[in-house]
Amino acid sequence: MYESSITKRILKPLLGFLLLMASYTFGQDVTVTGTVTDENKIPIPGANVIILNTTTGTQTDFDGKYTINVASGETLRFSYIGYAAQTITLTGQTVVDVTLVEDASQLDEVVVVGYGSRKKSDITGAVSSVKSEELNAFPVLDAAQALQGRAAGVVVQSNNGGEPGAPINIQIRGNTSINASSNPLIVVDGFVGAVFPQPNDIESIEVLKDASATAIYGSQGANGVVLVTTKKGRSGRLTVEFNTNYAAQSTSNQLDLLNADEFASFQQAINPSYEQGPANTDWQDLIYRNGYTTNHQFSFSGGAENINFYASANYFKQEGVVINSDFERVTFLANIDAQVTDKLKLGANLFGSRGNQNGVPTQSTGQTANGGGDDVVSSAFRFSPDLGVLDANGLNTINSVGDDIDNPFAVATESVNETKTDNYRANLYADYELMEGLSFKTTFGFSTTNIFDGLFRPSTLITTAGGNTGGRAIVASSQNTNLISENYLTYNKELGKGNLTLLAGYSYQKNRTEGFSAGAENFTSDSFSFFNLAAGAVQLTPTSSFSERELQSQFGRLNYDYDDKYLFTATVRRDGASNFAANNKYAIFPSGAIGWKISNEDFLKDNQKISNLKLRASYGVTGNQAISAFQSLARFDNVLSIINGQQVGAVVPDQAANPNLKWESSFQTNIGLDLGLFSNRVALSVDYYNIDTKDLLLADQGQPEFLGFLTAASIRNVGEINNKGLEISLNTVNVTNDNFSWTTDFNWSRNRNTVEALIGGLDVFLDASPGYFNIDRTHILREGETAGVFWGFEYRGVYQGGDLPEGTAVFEGAEAGDQLFTDVADENGVTDGVITTADQKIIGDPTPDFTIGITNNFTYKNFDLNIFFQGVYGGDVMNLTNVQLFNGDSNATREILNSWTPSNTDTNIPRAALRGKQISSRFVEDGSYLRLKNIALGYTLPSNVSEKIGMDTVRFSLSGQNLLTFSDYSGLDPEVSFFGSGGGNSSSANTTNGFDFGNYPNVKSYTFSLNLRF
Amino acid sequence: MKRKMKTIKLVLLLIGISVIGCSDLEENPQGVLAPESFFNSIADIQTAVNGAYGHMTHEDFWGRKFSLTIMLRGDMVDIGDPTTSLRRIEHNEFNVLADNGMIDGFWTRVYQIIGAANQAIAGAELVDADQDAKNAVIAQAYFARAFTYFHLVRLFGDLPYLDAPVTDIVAAGSISRTPAEEVYANIIADLAFAETWLPNTQPARSLPSKATAKGYLALVHLTRGDYQLAYDKAKEVIDNEGIYELALEPDFQNLFNAATIDASQEPLFSLDFEAFRNGDDGQDYAPALTGIRSDEQYGIGGGWSVAVPALSVFENWDDDDYRKAVSFDATGVFNGNVEPFTVFRDFNSRAVNRPHIAKYTRGTGTTANNNGRASQHNYSMMRYAEVLLIAAEALNEISGGNAEAFQYVNRIRARARSGNGAAVPADVSGLSQDEFRDLVMEERRLELAFEFKRWYDIARRRMGNEVFGASGFEGEKVNFDPNQDYLLPMPADELARNPNLTQNPGY
Repeated sequence: MYESSITKRILKPLLGFLLLMASYTFGQDVTVTGTVTDENKIPIPGANVIILNTTTGTQTDFDGKYTINVASGETLRFSYIGYAAQTITLTGQTVVDVTLVEDASQLDEVVVVGYGSRKKSDITGAVSSVKSEELNAFPVLDAAQALQGRAAGVVVQSNNGGEPGAPINIQIRGNTSINASSNPLIVVDGFVGAVFPQPNDIESIEVLKDASATAIYGSQGANGVVLVTTKKGRSGRLTVEFNTNYAAQSTSNQLDLLNADEFASFQQAINPSYEQGPANTDWQDLIYRNGYTTNHQFSFSGGAENINFYASANYFKQEGVVINSDFERVTFLANIDAQVTDKLKLGANLFGSRGNQNGVPTQSTGQTANGGGDDVVSSAFRFSPDLGVLDANGLNTINSVGDDIDNPFAVATESVNETKTDNYRANLYADYELMEGLSFKTTFGFSTTNIFDGLFRPSTLITTAGGNTGGRAIVASSQNTNLISENYLTYNKELGKGNLTLLAGYSYQKNRTEGFSAGAENFTSDSFSFFNLAAGAVQLTPTSSFSERELQSQFGRLNYDYDDKYLFTATVRRDGASNFAANNKYAIFPSGAIGWKISNEDFLKDNQKISNLKLRASYGVTGNQAISAFQSLARFDNVLSIINGQQVGAVVPDQAANPNLKWESSFQTNIGLDLGLFSNRVALSVDYYNIDTKDLLLADQGQPEFLGFLTAASIRNVGEINNKGLEISLNTVNVTNDNFSWTTDFNWSRNRNTVEALIGGLDVFLDASPGYFNIDRTHILREGETAGVFWGFEYRGVYQGGDLPEGTAVFEGAEAGDQLFTDVADENGVTDGVITTADQKIIGDPTPDFTIGITNNFTYKNFDLNIFFQGVYGGDVMNLTNVQLFNGDSNATREILNSWTPSNTDTNIPRAALRGKQISSRFVEDGSYLRLKNIALGYTLPSNVSEKIGMDTVRFSLSGQNLLTFSDYSGLDPEVSFFGSGGGNSSSANTTNGFDFGNYPNVKSYTFSLNLRF
Repeated sequence: MKRKMKTIKLVLLLIGISVIGCSDLEENPQGVLAPESFFNSIADIQTAVNGAYGHMTHEDFWGRKFSLTIMLRGDMVDIGDPTTSLRRIEHNEFNVLADNGMIDGFWTRVYQIIGAANQAIAGAELVDADQDAKNAVIAQAYFARAFTYFHLVRLFGDLPYLDAPVTDIVAAGSISRTPAEEVYANIIADLAFAETWLPNTQPARSLPSKATAKGYLALVHLTRGDYQLAYDKAKEVIDNEGIYELALEPDFQNLFNAATIDASQEPLFSLDFEAFRNGDDGQDYAPALTGIRSDEQYGIGGGWSVAVPALSVFENWDDDDYRKAVSFDATGVFNGNVEPFTVFRDFNSRAVNRPHIAKYTRGTGTTANNNGRASQHNYSMMRYAEVLLIAAEALNEISGGNAEAFQYVNRIRARARSGNGAAVPADVSGLSQDEFRDLVMEERRLELAFEFKRWYDIARRRMGNEVFGASGFEGEKVNFDPNQDYLLPMPADELARNPNLTQNPGY
């Protein structure tokens, strides 16, 4: 009885792992001892040692050692989760040391899913896994960056090029919303809504993509879920790791601009009285430099009989490639797991980080207040090259053409933008085995994110500070706290050939944000930075804010597997949220999935070629609780009002009550196929999905504005959007032998997005241009089109004078050499022969046709080589930089030298003239690219050498990032992300993509890394 | 069995410990205001009226979009910077489309002023206080509503008209246009209420007084050609100028100087900008729009040369008229040197070689910076000189060649002469009804130059064919169509939202 229960546990590896150190005898002839280690000679504790075809066995202790009594001639089987099992037939030896090799097939790998884990082979949903090695192939600040190109259907983009500390945007399977965030839910070690730990501390990342996988997160699951598992200690020897790297960085590209002489003659063509300035300045040279990143990580982990731990400290520092920009971060992480009794397990995850970003103003919203002059990158392109940094009076120069902007060097060096971010998180859990197969887990966690922003513009920056304001300083602070308590029961039972797992739980979350800001202008001195607002003669309106959301939920899941062939999963979550409106406080999100392991059917079981074939299908509903706190209530708002020179209290109607407001719902179908060939040396996964998102929360543009509410368009659940796509991932082991191995991981994904319904079927226009362009409309939402296609004039080349070519027209007053556009007919099919705003149309679509990632890994003896390409095909880019540079009121690229003149008529560039800044197809370009994201050559010292110096492992690597980019795009980099005044918020990230303006430049790096383990 | 009980107890205990914070999910908003609990005192009514004033100083209204639109539609101010946005040029050239961005921009805000006024009037009913005391404050809201609808009805004709806060969005959102006649009747009724209950004087001209209501009644009647009523109301103001503390500001320049305008007795109602800005709330763009690009003379960072008078406006204005010097800047300062307007463009290619408006750049106050956006200007919506001109114009229509009417104009001309001691403009006398009608219109054009009045004069007097013809200041405006352009298009998106709204002729 005792033995058989032990055996059962061994057969159920997950539970068996909890019970360490059980050894017993059965009265055999020989005592065999030995050590089980992994490839790096690290002992594996808890590995199973079984006498084949018996129920007799043991486990290794925490030094990886085992002792077993066994008859000669018997066969021992050594196994451990994630490693290929080995069998050794005894021929009289008494010492058997075994090295277990990680399982190439990875089919029995355990994959973390929401509130539990499953064998990968039993997964019925669409789940991608990214392993530690991929995350750490090259140094990144944010683990999210490392996901780029690694998982099909996952699009990762920096919100501002290579800016140190720029926010990273992740989108899974397209934008499932218009106004709400399309960013996935991040869950770290079970803590919902956490920030990413730093990459070196991550064991694995699972990306849950379909509703079957995400519905357990209900109203937070519509955008997919990223589950992060941090590293845990293993019983056995103490492991100490030190990882360090240094990367030298430079801008990957620069624009070819006019020099001072060329610029002056170009300006004189526009305005003959333009006088050339005294200097010849290359502003790009002045603001760019060689930057670097350096990252040091120190960790130690290990465990005693009943306790495991992992602790790490990390220091990251980046000097940006634009002068005066840098980022610094310190991170700590500790995980402790204790097996208190054989039934009770306790654990804690602790995380803390402080980031300190010193930015330069880039990618500004270009508000009219400063003519876009608070953006050093676009200013470096625009600013007159015939001016120096200082004028004859020793003052910072102001641009000699166009809006009065400060020169970019002055802005970069004199302005201060500092952001300090603190993140702390603690999560405790208790896991108690109530009875065989039934366990109860309770977690309690708390996190806080504190952000302090300081901005300062000295009085020497005339326009950037807002024009002779005598300097401006603003401070803002926000504090977000998140409390989470979750409790769930898991029950596991074998029923004949079937296996049943049940999960039921309750969760409570509370999220609270408080913030304030204050500012002043007109300082008595520039020496205060933003630390003495009282010294400002003009006080800006201070603000403070509060919001709070509560979420309480019940959730459950049923998994039933029959005969290791048929898999069934059903999930449901019921969410109640305080921010939901009075009539819709609760929501239910169900999903179901089936899987069929065809390769386990009799007719395929013995097939030599097909080692795995599985079909998966799922359907479910998930939500996006995009309603912000208090959004459904009738409200007043304050406005600024002045009576008799004094500011007075003033309120205005903000919005009417909407008691019916509810969450957005995504209805997702997923059909997937997994195929493994030749012992899974070729593994293919194909997934097709269709996501209908309904009840989209849209500002009701159909609500008449004459109703007089401050929020002119109140939020209603009306829109619909569809995403459908195909994802393919192919992993192959091309060559594997003792000295040489070559593997290839390939992923391909395509997402088509269509706006299905808008309020009243009306077009919605959006604007992602810099404010000083004075343009209202750059993108459009239209039923039947992709969300956020480009809106503007269709350029038809240069007008050669005389009669207008059929279907074209020019702006009023245009002459030969000016721009020719398509004359768009009105609803009656009539064209008016002149270009007005009525002649705008859809002129481009930023959505890529597909994205790919290709990784090749080679190992030869102790060398390893990683080559990682990432690419995007199709998708237009709007070169807003050129809208500015070809406008006549700024410097320009050398292309302008080919402007139309009466003697140079065969050109696409109109004559030199001042023009309004217009969005037209003239500036739409193909954004396809293929990028060598990383190439890394590593060398690991042979173990006999490293042992001599007291190390377990010593590895060096040299790598390069972004060294090559193949693209036809004429701007600096086809990976663009300018959002105008939207600044990358939820709505603009969903709908106003593909614009290039003033991005912090992307960088290329050369990196040296060293990893030590002892 | 005993074991089982123990297990169950343990489960219950663990669940008990862990299920914390079971919530009813009700929201308890903090930092936001709920309408039902807001109105408790007369001060709260004033706070709600202040919301209407606050909206008036937004960029969408007098900060830029509304005021610039009516300025550009007139015959005096042309586009300067040729690269300025199309939505502005369209108004100057009369090829405005129904989706024009200027109209879209201000339409919303103008109705927000009305929404705030309606909320104040309705909210007052929730306040338990002396009715007369309440009326004195509510009367401000009636004035604000009439003031705003008066602008709208002149620009759009028939209007969607709301006089109560909206609670049913669907019902309110599907109303038809109320005929202009009826809108005018409501405006007159609102102003009559204001006239009854507003005090004779207020602590500041940014609050309407009894005289303000009378002055606006006079202008409304004048606009409608009800000259007797117009004259009567103007006369009531003039006869009581002492009681209402009204007078012509001795130095015309002081009207456009932030340092002196606060104490002036000339404005009847003004919008106060005071360098307190919150985004585009309280942001004054007029100095930027009318100022000279790259000009250094006022230390506000120059202007943008967007709205620049036609050269012939300058050329056809007598140099000896002091008001010309106050209204124009014919020189700028560049690189420390004074330069004439004929070379403005040499210093900035987006400038234009014409004299610029000086009324909003010369005296922006001590805090002005940022191209003047932090000005301390008070914009006079109506000043006493206009009341005199209304009386003169109306009286002349009632009985031509009236000496009393000449005398109102002569008061204004005397003030103009006293600025520089010149003999220009001379007193008027002995004119016929037709001659004096033309003279008053011309006097309004010069006295109130660039003060956002001209378009309304052109429209009410139907002068378009003349002033936008070949002999007009800005040259011939080929697109001007008298059957269309006296009214703006109703915003196209607003028509799409409410199919019961109709478009104006020609659009």
